Amino acid sequence: MSGQLIINGIVNASLIAPPAIAFSLLFGILRFPNFAIGAYVTVGAFIAYALNVGAGMPMWVAGLGAMAGTAVVVWLSDVLVFKPMRGHTPVTLLVVSIALALIIEHVIRLFYGADVRGFDLPLERPIKFAGLRITGEQIDIIVMTIVIGIAIHLLLQYTRIGKAMRATADNETLAEVRGINTSYVIAFTWFICGALFGLTGVFAGLDLVIEPLVGWYLTIPIFAAAILGGIGSPYGAMLGALLVGLAEELTVLVLPSSYKIGVGFVIIAVLLLIRPHGLLGQPEIKK
Amino acid sequence: MSAYLISMATFVGFFMILALALNLQWGMTGMVNFGIAGFYALGAYTSGLLSVKLGWPVGITIAMSCVTGLIAGGLVALLSMRLREDYLAIVTLGFGEIVRLIALNEDQITEGPRGLKIDARPFADMFDRETYPLVYLGLVAAAVAVVFVIVECIRRSPMGRTLRAIREDDVVAEVLGKNVLRHRVQVFALGGAFMGLAGALYAHYVQNISPEVFMPMVAIFIWMSVIVGGAGNNWGLLLGAGVVMTILEGSRFMGDFIDFLDAEQLSAIRIIVIGVLLIAILRVRPRGLIPEPKFSFATSTTQQERQPSTENAK
Amino acid sequence: MTRKITRRSALITGGAIAAAGVFAPNIARAADPINVGSLTPNTGGGGPFGPKITSAHKRVVELVNSQGGVLGTTINLFQENSETNPETAVRAADKLINVNKVVGILGTWSSSVTLGIMPKCQEAGVIQMCTSSSADIPVRDEKGYVFNFQALSPVWGRAIARLALRRGFKTFNLMALNNDFTRSMMDGFTEVVGKDKLLQDSFYYNGGQSSYRSEVTQLIEKNPEAVFIPSYVTDFTSVYKEIFRQGYEGQVISVSISTGAKFKEAIGDAANGIIHGLPVPPIKSPAYAEYVTETGLEPTDGVQHPFGTAGRDQMSVLLLAIEKSGSTDADKVSKAIWDITTGDGKETVYNVTDGLKAIRAGKEINYSGASSSVEFDKEGMVLGRDFQLAEIKDGKDVVIERLEF
Repeated sequence: MSGQLIINGIVNASLIAPPAIAFSLLFGILRFPNFAIGAYVTVGAFIAYALNVGAGMPMWVAGLGAMAGTAVVVWLSDVLVFKPMRGHTPVTLLVVSIALALIIEHVIRLFYGADVRGFDLPLERPIKFAGLRITGEQIDIIVMTIVIGIAIHLLLQYTRIGKAMRATADNETLAEVRGINTSYVIAFTWFICGALFGLTGVFAGLDLVIEPLVGWYLTIPIFAAAILGGIGSPYGAMLGALLVGLAEELTVLVLPSSYKIGVGFVIIAVLLLIRPHGLLGQPEIKK
Repeated sequence: MSAYLISMATFVGFFMILALALNLQWGMTGMVNFGIAGFYALGAYTSGLLSVKLGWPVGITIAMSCVTGLIAGGLVALLSMRLREDYLAIVTLGFGEIVRLIALNEDQITEGPRGLKIDARPFADMFDRETYPLVYLGLVAAAVAVVFVIVECIRRSPMGRTLRAIREDDVVAEVLGKNVLRHRVQVFALGGAFMGLAGALYAHYVQNISPEVFMPMVAIFIWMSVIVGGAGNNWGLLLGAGVVMTILEGSRFMGDFIDFLDAEQLSAIRIIVIGVLLIAILRVRPRGLIPEPKFSFATSTTQQERQPSTENAK
Repeated sequence: MTRKITRRSALITGGAIAAAGVFAPNIARAADPINVGSLTPNTGGGGPFGPKITSAHKRVVELVNSQGGVLGTTINLFQENSETNPETAVRAADKLINVNKVVGILGTWSSSVTLGIMPKCQEAGVIQMCTSSSADIPVRDEKGYVFNFQALSPVWGRAIARLALRRGFKTFNLMALNNDFTRSMMDGFTEVVGKDKLLQDSFYYNGGQSSYRSEVTQLIEKNPEAVFIPSYVTDFTSVYKEIFRQGYEGQVISVSISTGAKFKEAIGDAANGIIHGLPVPPIKSPAYAEYVTETGLEPTDGVQHPFGTAGRDQMSVLLLAIEKSGSTDADKVSKAIWDITTGDGKETVYNVTDGLKAIRAGKEINYSGASSSVEFDKEGMVLGRDFQLAEIKDGKDVVIERLEF
């Protein structure tokens, strides 16, 4: 059983790693935990659903459409809601993001109701080896997540815009002084993150079920992964996702599964007590 | 209608106590608490269980709720003393969820998802059915008054100044020789006690509590009350609690007059309205309807913003 | 400084109360007709079912009003959303009771909501009609004001277990959604199949998780012939996907509320083979046929709207009982509810129109509904709803067994 649980954990991890990276990047620039990430993921799931089931497009087209569409929605949420409020305290912005999440969730409800939905894609039976099971779809998700992790790393390390993103996250004023157009960089970051949330929506729609709360269910594991890895570090977020994914699965070996939902929180709490800056994060310097 | 207004006023009273407690913790001291539902539940279950299972008199069980709230608040503060405020948000949210999970899963003690029926009510046998709601409102109002006076006294006292100093910059406060940790633990524990009190009063009022009552949404309503009213200002958040309840409940009356939408769409619109109003208020009056009177330049938000939250890998 | 704010805030608060006061008489005056409250789970866990109950309530009231109402006055229906959350529901019930002065609150679905508003309803003398299945409901209803249109959930579990045993399964594993309804259903099931047929301890899972993988791995590890999963549709859809993906080849048994049309649409062909059971409307009953026509559903062999049908019956029974008792007093109405639903040698009626006619003609009636024949036991719990086990074949429910009461 524990072998299968480890595979389960890796699948979990590959679902929460991309949004954890995105959350981490956004946090780096905006400096507040954006509780609307779950709603962004839900938006992605529903756009993909509309394109795939509503308009009859193949899944990969619907997936790309969801990434593009969610990127726009997420960017708009910055333009309309967060941008005018820059400079407010992190806690005010946090509350604003909760209000935004409620708005998005209920706009979806207004149009789609609370019914469960799924993509127009047959469910797959697993490939079995040595008593372990995994589906082709899950392998695809794992591979895509790894590719995304590497791509984001390359983007941040070797491209102009990536370097500008890191500089802006480090110190916005300084970046501005050095001639970086920070508002362009911030908009770009929102777009990239939006695309990642959209993709997660597609994954979540495949793995769970498409309904107005689907993204909310992922929110705490995403937070846990990002915080565990250390905010602002994409590799850290991936490592964090792996640990959270495994921990949630392995819980059932020691605790009744009715407590599983609390595991994410306990991980966050314990880790923050030991290493307040996450596994790969750097300590904060008070100025 | 008047019975309804009395009942809503009672609910506003619970919100006010919670909001005052949050204001003490966050508005005055800068300690974020998103686990309000957890403290609320702890108070409700402490008083409910002691009265149902052990038959203790209501007065004592309510007092015990304050004690459990106090202890829990102190422990959470001690555990999370090193955390930044946004991390504290997540840890406290987790505390709330774990309290709820325990109430849900340990059903030999808490009755689990079936919910706990509580018969005992303070002074119930001294009044008839018609006047009792008013008596209970009076009781809740008295509790609000007591909590208000305590919190307001702290705010005006030298300790209040220390708390504000901690809120603005704990490092500076530390350097100035203030015992930051002790103050934080005290304040968080006291806030926890008030929340426990609110929970106990809630439990004996509705007489039926179940884990589903204590969802994180409760915390969000209280945060809305404090932010809408004006963080740091105790008068403002009394107003804020009233405003939030009016929006929550007032939108209910919308449904009696609009019939072109089905119930599901109507309830969706209700929450959308709440969300938009909240954002609008924060945009127009970021420091609430009645902002904290300025003691110094200290509340300037830019200063807090300047503290970089993390340093990236360079 | 503070003084000024005090006065200002006092003014604002005073103004709000004054405004509410001005507003109040309007509502109170409109309360002359008979007022009925509907409190349904239009969002949250009951979201897939609440709107059907809501519209069933509304249809009955509109029908009766178009025929001149009850006791010569029109019925005012006030509908609230419980959000499947007792915290919200208590305040909604408060509004229905104290502002709208309703005779009864109908349509509560989740047990925690039904139980949560019960103290207020009992105190104010308000009838409750629900489709909740917690065994605590009859225990806590001290005044006999609560009528449950749904079999208690251990009954569901026992019936499904009996039907499953008849199908010849020998080993089982069980996991249930962590709420009262589904937990006690699991207990009922265990009671009938016997602990020795379970390969391992049964367990609970919470809804709203980011994954159900470990639960499913645990459930199918010992490869039982059948697994029984009492659940709601949202979590069951995710759980079932995972069961399929982990390659379980045995029999999946669930409740029909988790396997409705939306589930089949979301899952596709993989849903074939699932067995599910539910207390069902008497499909041959004229009342059920009427419900199907009223809602514009395609008549099928399978069950549709197990809760919508109950909504129709709740409102019909309440209005008939008001007419019968000539009163809106809870004690009289609740007595009349027994009178018009239970007992032999009366004229059977299948809808509210015929019922009202018969009552006005001075006849004794026994209402037989779309959700069941609506007979109550001493505690106000509905007696014996038919029970049906169906299998999904080619995306459709095919009835395989039926227990009739």
